[in-house]
Amino acid sequence: MCCNPLSEQSLQPQAQEPLYLDKIKGMRFFDPHVHMTSRTTDDYQAMADAGVAAIIEPSFWLGQPRTGVDTFKDYFSSLVGWERFRASQFGIKHYCTIGLNSKEANNEALAEQVMEVLPLFMYKEGVVGIGEIGFDDQTALEEKYYRAQLNLAREAGLPVQIHTPHRDKKRGTQRSMDIALEHGLDPKMVIVDHNNEETVQEVLDRGFWAAFTIYPFTKMGNERMVALVKQYGSERIMVNSAADWGISDPLAVPKTAALMHESGIDLNDIHLVTYRNAITAFAQSGQINEADWESAAVVDQREKFNGSSILRGGQQPRVDKHNKIIR
Amino acid sequence: MTHQPYLYDQQALLGLLTPLLITQLQEKGLAWLQQQQAKALISEGFQQWNLTFVALPRHAGKQTVVLADDQLAAMARLVPGFTPRHWPADRLARAWWLLQWPAASQEAYVRSISTLFHTGSMEELTALYSCLPLLAWPESWVAQTAEGIRSNIGDVLEAIMLHNPYPARYLPVPAWNQLVLKAFFTGKPVVEITGLQERNNPDLQQMLHDYAAERKAAGRTVDPQLSLLASQVLL
Repeated sequence: MCCNPLSEQSLQPQAQEPLYLDKIKGMRFFDPHVHMTSRTTDDYQAMADAGVAAIIEPSFWLGQPRTGVDTFKDYFSSLVGWERFRASQFGIKHYCTIGLNSKEANNEALAEQVMEVLPLFMYKEGVVGIGEIGFDDQTALEEKYYRAQLNLAREAGLPVQIHTPHRDKKRGTQRSMDIALEHGLDPKMVIVDHNNEETVQEVLDRGFWAAFTIYPFTKMGNERMVALVKQYGSERIMVNSAADWGISDPLAVPKTAALMHESGIDLNDIHLVTYRNAITAFAQSGQINEADWESAAVVDQREKFNGSSILRGGQQPRVDKHNKIIR
Repeated sequence: MTHQPYLYDQQALLGLLTPLLITQLQEKGLAWLQQQQAKALISEGFQQWNLTFVALPRHAGKQTVVLADDQLAAMARLVPGFTPRHWPADRLARAWWLLQWPAASQEAYVRSISTLFHTGSMEELTALYSCLPLLAWPESWVAQTAEGIRSNIGDVLEAIMLHNPYPARYLPVPAWNQLVLKAFFTGKPVVEITGLQERNNPDLQQMLHDYAAERKAAGRTVDPQLSLLASQVLL
């Protein structure tokens, strides 16, 4: 699948912090698309170390289709419950978007039931949008539920996070935008995700937010991202990792910032595409307050939970991964 | 079994909470809440009640509401052990809202409040468990409380374990013992558990004794608070 043969060196454990962390020391990042449900606590730790202050977890497909509405309900509950808590243990503020993803919109009987429970969740604290919704195969049923959810978002005054399809991407992206406009959504309330060199121009020209997913092999690479920011600037552009159960990288945002810095991109532009723009876009929900993650680190100490060991004030339940001894 | 929804004067508690809530809300928030109240009271089913419960933080805010000692004492007179000393305004507002929830039918009440538990966010769960001593049909919440103790969300555990009179009054011995053990396991200040000494029992003492031995065998420290309940534990 990959073109990068493993060398002896790449199998060695890393003894030190990677060099790129030096370049972004003190910077803060906001990853507006990452599926932490599928990631380990090690990832949260690494993200916090790399400066990720807050994230958005969009509702998505779990790798195989769900067969009942209750599993959807439990999934949505976990996004505002357990996952929110898990992130807080690392001082990361966790937001989410709620929605019926395009793949599962194809099961009409189930989709109808999911649409009924969505209002239970979309008004909850920390729910910053309806997402990720849109097209996968671009079927009639996908369109039906995409439209229905656009209406929900418009009524609730919530931003929309659009998943654009892998296949027939350019036309799928155009169609997604056409339909959003048709339903009376203001383009500034719509974040069009997973853009590439072929889609970005039109998305920006029509006034939508353009999000880019740094995801190996299938979506955007970060060297290409550097070139895109050099060409299009930083207005209405944001970067995310969309890290999930596939081969992906939850550090994609900080790594891309480091690469941008190395490539001479202005610090303010880096700040906009890896932090500020995503906040501006999703804060239109009224559910984002930057003070939330400034206080997260303090709240965190009180909430900390660590299995069978007892934490005392200020103690970090941190494991030294390079230590052979486990206590 | 009880045959009335509340075993305390819930209208009197509502009377104490209402002026408190008014001081916390902006004019706009108050107008919104009155409107929601009017809509809910004439509505069928629970959707209107649910939506308001969920949306309350938008209008109430999260500032800590400081209560005077006499206010706390008045509440504790109505609901023994209920002391919302450091509650954020949105939690107090949720308590106020829950007190007005249609409670005449036990079946409908339990089903609708259970839905709140099953779909609750971290903050909503914290509010719901903190409000256990205020809920109608009190004997209906034993299993939900035991379920909450199985949670690993820190705030949820604290809401059940600390300064909450419900568990000591209603939990059977096995669930109570799990509560106390879990408080030790998760490093909670166990002296803040309401009814800690009154509900102490030989089975719990045995468990704590074994727990201390297990910690020592692993070369780990033993919480000195253990000796509060199991004096024979060697620290």
